[in-house]
Amino acid sequence: MKDENIYVGRRQKINELRAKNEKMTPRERCLKAINFEEADRVPIDNWMVPEIKKGCMTYWGLDSEAELLDFLGVDVRDNYGPAYVGLEFKTHEDGTVEDLWGVRRRKVIYGKGTDHEGTYTEVSHSPMEHMKTVEEINAYPRWPSPDWWDFSKVKEECAVWHPKYFVLNKGDRLDRTAQLKPMMYLRGVQQTFIDLATNPKIVECIRDHVVNYFVNYNPKVFKASGGAFDMFMMGDDMGGQSGPLIGVDMWRRYFRDAFRKYCDIAHSFDLKVMYHSCGDVYSLIPDFIENGLDCLQSLQPTATNMDIKRLKNEFGKDLSFQGGMDIQQVLPLGKAEDVRKMVKYAMDSAKKGGGYIICTSHNIQVDTPIENVATLFEAYHEYGAY
Amino acid sequence: MDTLLKISQYVERGQIQEAKEATRQALNVEKIPAMEILNKGLIAGLAVIGEKFSCQKAFVPELITAGMAMKESLDLLRPVFETSGAPSMGTVVIGTVEGDVHDVGKNIVTMMLQGAGFKVHDLGIDVPPEKFVEAVKKYQPDILALSALYTPTRLAMKETIKAMEDGALRSKMKVIIGGAPIDQSFCDLIKADGYAPDAPQAVQLCKTWI
Repeated sequence: MKDENIYVGRRQKINELRAKNEKMTPRERCLKAINFEEADRVPIDNWMVPEIKKGCMTYWGLDSEAELLDFLGVDVRDNYGPAYVGLEFKTHEDGTVEDLWGVRRRKVIYGKGTDHEGTYTEVSHSPMEHMKTVEEINAYPRWPSPDWWDFSKVKEECAVWHPKYFVLNKGDRLDRTAQLKPMMYLRGVQQTFIDLATNPKIVECIRDHVVNYFVNYNPKVFKASGGAFDMFMMGDDMGGQSGPLIGVDMWRRYFRDAFRKYCDIAHSFDLKVMYHSCGDVYSLIPDFIENGLDCLQSLQPTATNMDIKRLKNEFGKDLSFQGGMDIQQVLPLGKAEDVRKMVKYAMDSAKKGGGYIICTSHNIQVDTPIENVATLFEAYHEYGAY
Repeated sequence: MDTLLKISQYVERGQIQEAKEATRQALNVEKIPAMEILNKGLIAGLAVIGEKFSCQKAFVPELITAGMAMKESLDLLRPVFETSGAPSMGTVVIGTVEGDVHDVGKNIVTMMLQGAGFKVHDLGIDVPPEKFVEAVKKYQPDILALSALYTPTRLAMKETIKAMEDGALRSKMKVIIGGAPIDQSFCDLIKADGYAPDAPQAVQLCKTWI
């Protein structure tokens, strides 16, 4: 941690507010919230792309990500699960690299030469796109196995955070527990939608392989943590900007049973379950609750029907929330006042009675000025106290 | 049942083969004029699914398959239009902007614009501004349609519009933008002519410009 005046000055407000507000450990604070009790302040989680983490470290004069999270008062710590020890992911001549599912990915650079340059690893080839039968899908040679992972270090990795912090078993973005997403990677997004409308056998076949993998993999991960996880996160984008991608009936037909199974397995290890979905999933929320969900993540405020006040009023007795901060308009394009107003609105709407962990609705993207990130965290501490 | 009504229902339900078969029947057996098949069959069906989509009674799988039923049936009418003069609403150049590889939304918009009678030149994904400029010079479209999924990649829309200004092409056409992170204020910010939150509304907006 650098101690030049400029950094000390920038850190002052957050340091003062935290000293005033905080009387619990991060884990105690989160456990209260997730069990619908008010803590000392609303717990904070943090989602940022690596470029923004780096920008924040430079802005506040911090030397590591751990220092950054500590300084910002982030209460949740992520664990990405076991180490991959399977066969090396194949690199193809065109530079694409296979992932866990055998899906070829390539790095795509955006904003080349600008101050918002960054990289995403995108799907470039979906191996099942042109398959016609369930036999071909069953014969796919690259279905992953839980045996490809070394679980021996999970516990010691968690020990860095547990029991001071609230440990979230998050998984990597590419192998996070899901159903629809791996299907889209393997089959292609458009073909998956076509299958959903016209080819139930293909949908069920791919889904069963995906579900079978996670149902065998997750208990091993949970067991390996030795009780150090507090919450398990799964994620599937079921929502679009102006409505769910699929209807409730289709969700029930194809995805409900495994959603429930995933929740049941986590609950059998005494874990809470958080579910990430971008977009408008309002009409699916009653089903999420009925099938075991504890915490809904994202609450993308620019999506239709996802106003946090409404969600808290309608579902807040049965469901806790994580997210609610807009990364699409307010953070990249808004002024400091807009950021503060957004935080205050979410806190006023959702903090009462616990059940809320404040966070951005997805990773803060590189197009966001660091000053807005600073305002965001200052406002978290200003408006989050009980 | 009236064959045109059947076509419209098959399109609405995304029954691709059935829609094509009924279109063939209408065109070759019943000798219904292609223009009438397009308007009272295909476009009518697409309009119904578009409305259902906008009020969350239909979703992406239903919209895509309806768009495909529309497109594949329309392909059967094309040879007729080519000899009798194609009914063109106007020309559109469409693409996902540089740095972004997402195209499901763009593909739905493309299908629906084609279905509504637009001639659409789809440049694909990760399209740099200079490629858009090239295509605009070549096809001289009435409308340029730009798509992006992420907030950082939407900034390439601004660069693309700037490239049109630099090439003195901007005033020759309307620019429509779309994708999850797009709203009216972003549209105003980068001086596009309009945005639409979904494919059916994109088609509506484009129609008002022709």
